[in-house]
Amino acid sequence: MTSEILLTTTVGSFGKPEYLQKARNQFARGKLSREELTTLERRATEEWIRRQEEIGLDILVDGEMYRGDMVAYFADLLEGYREGGLVRSYGNRYYHKPIIAGKIRRPNPMTVEWFEYAQSLTDKPVKGMLTGPYTMLDWSFNEAYKTRRDAALALAEVIRLEAEDLERAGAKYIQIDEPAIHARPEEIDIAIEAMGIVTRNLKAKTVSHICYGDFAAIYPQVLKLPVDQLDLAMSNYEYRWLELFDKDPFTKELAIGIVDVHEHELESVDEAAEGIRKGLRYVSAARLYPHPDCGLKTRTVEETVDKCRVVVEAARKVRAELKAKVPA
Amino acid sequence: MKTTVIGAFPKISDDPGGQDLRRALHRFDRGEIDADALDRVFETVTRAAIAELEGSGIDVINDGQIRWDDLFARFARSWDGVSRGPLERFYDNNTYFRQPVIERPISTGGRTLVRDFELARAAAKTQVKAAVCGPLSFATLAAEDRAYKSLEERTLAVADALAAEIRGLGAAGATLVDVEDPAVVARPDLIALARAAYERLAKAGVPLAIQPYFFPADKVIETLATFPVAQVGIDLCSRDTKALSALGALRTHTVVLGVVDARNTRLETEAEVAKTIEAAAKVVGADRLWAAPTTGLEYLPHDVASKKLAVLVKGARAAMGVPA
Repeated sequence: MTSEILLTTTVGSFGKPEYLQKARNQFARGKLSREELTTLERRATEEWIRRQEEIGLDILVDGEMYRGDMVAYFADLLEGYREGGLVRSYGNRYYHKPIIAGKIRRPNPMTVEWFEYAQSLTDKPVKGMLTGPYTMLDWSFNEAYKTRRDAALALAEVIRLEAEDLERAGAKYIQIDEPAIHARPEEIDIAIEAMGIVTRNLKAKTVSHICYGDFAAIYPQVLKLPVDQLDLAMSNYEYRWLELFDKDPFTKELAIGIVDVHEHELESVDEAAEGIRKGLRYVSAARLYPHPDCGLKTRTVEETVDKCRVVVEAARKVRAELKAKVPA
Repeated sequence: MKTTVIGAFPKISDDPGGQDLRRALHRFDRGEIDADALDRVFETVTRAAIAELEGSGIDVINDGQIRWDDLFARFARSWDGVSRGPLERFYDNNTYFRQPVIERPISTGGRTLVRDFELARAAAKTQVKAAVCGPLSFATLAAEDRAYKSLEERTLAVADALAAEIRGLGAAGATLVDVEDPAVVARPDLIALARAAYERLAKAGVPLAIQPYFFPADKVIETLATFPVAQVGIDLCSRDTKALSALGALRTHTVVLGVVDARNTRLETEAEVAKTIEAAAKVVGADRLWAAPTTGLEYLPHDVASKKLAVLVKGARAAMGVPA
């Protein structure tokens, strides 16, 4: 690891290289075999591990070259789900929203091989990346379970199995994303209960990414979410969520988003560094993890690299400032 | 009793032939087609949506809002003083919208949707209603406001702009305008402000239907009964609600009852729909009752949206004793 403070990381997904996008389209049309696609996904994964090392990120991810949508990927591999038709998420973007049609079961591990492969390529820690039970529920149609809580708890049980397998495979960080956690603030207790099932046996550091929604509506209750670190989009919100910490102190580690992932425009290192400094008012440098606001899969490879480079440079800059302040 | 729809209809379908708009937008983004060519695709898809709504037996249709990126986009693009800001999740949906940014006092010529409405009316054989976004939703979901001093001032300014749009639609022949305003039920604490805004909308002189959805109307139904609108939409499916038994509060309004869930693929049965309508009819009377999906059907895949329309029409006909 390059340093012990302001460890840099990313939220999980990266832009797919053109050859992989083309291959995924060919696979969808039946013109490429699963084995051929997997070979290209592994190649892209290795490229992203190398790029992250070259950029100087501290805690790596596999980049999710083998995933499309963060819910549909797991839904495809779980029993009880069936694929839904296309629905629009924004503008001209559509996704197959999955349908919970029966009792949820996990026939096989879903991400462990990819974690093992990515981790085998680097000495730096690679995060195990999962989608949380509440988000899995909220971003699916539920035809099978009587209540939303019933469905969330059933999903929590299978995600727990996956998280425990990732830990056994050596994951030191396990991220269980809950970007939908504020969809219905009145259901925050369901999200907390479900996450408790997922993390109850884990010793690895647990992280949950939350983005794009009314964070204020679930704060400070979200501090009860049983994870070690909350990973929050901040740059897109001009850091306004930090003001909530004035009234109710933030008690967890904070992964702070310092570059906006939905803008092509590249932030300056100074702008991103200022975001880190804002975070330091509330969380110590040892507990603050700079990163981009969200997954970078909607950006090109080049944009993704540039955004990550800004994060790393900003962290270096602030580390140097902190070092200069410490008496020799 | 009539059947109707609210909001946006799916713009594409999973069928290979149902993706023309998606492809056209991609081609437009790549500079392969010009704005006129894209416009022709929008028009074709709008005509198809209208034909499908009519074909399914819906009595009062809209144009499917095929040209709407989100609830606010048409207005934020057209109004002077407003721009489109950061991306945000639209309430509890995994669907996103651009938050309006108010840079200067808002002004509009009131013709933002007139061409759309005229095209829809020319294409349709049945009654077509228009729609605008709700003033409270626009004002509460704005990312930034550099023109007005308070939420109250902003909401009323948005209402004035929307009143101009409604006046424009009325001049073009609209006899009913939906006002889609989920904030009215999401923010019951602001119901008095919402009512003041609707007083301004009513001055346009066109019958209005307030369509608050996603949240229960239980806390505001008594106040909704005092709104100067012709119709009040009630979403019965999105969350637990006792609104069905409280419909008696709406003593003069037509109730647009959201009886099929436009946000879940589970398909209601004809009997379920009929039973709900019959229960409501006992309270408000069939002459003041319309049946609808809870919100825009665009939250569903196209094939499921089509099935929801079918069960809505069949359930409504069964409730009224009309042979299927």
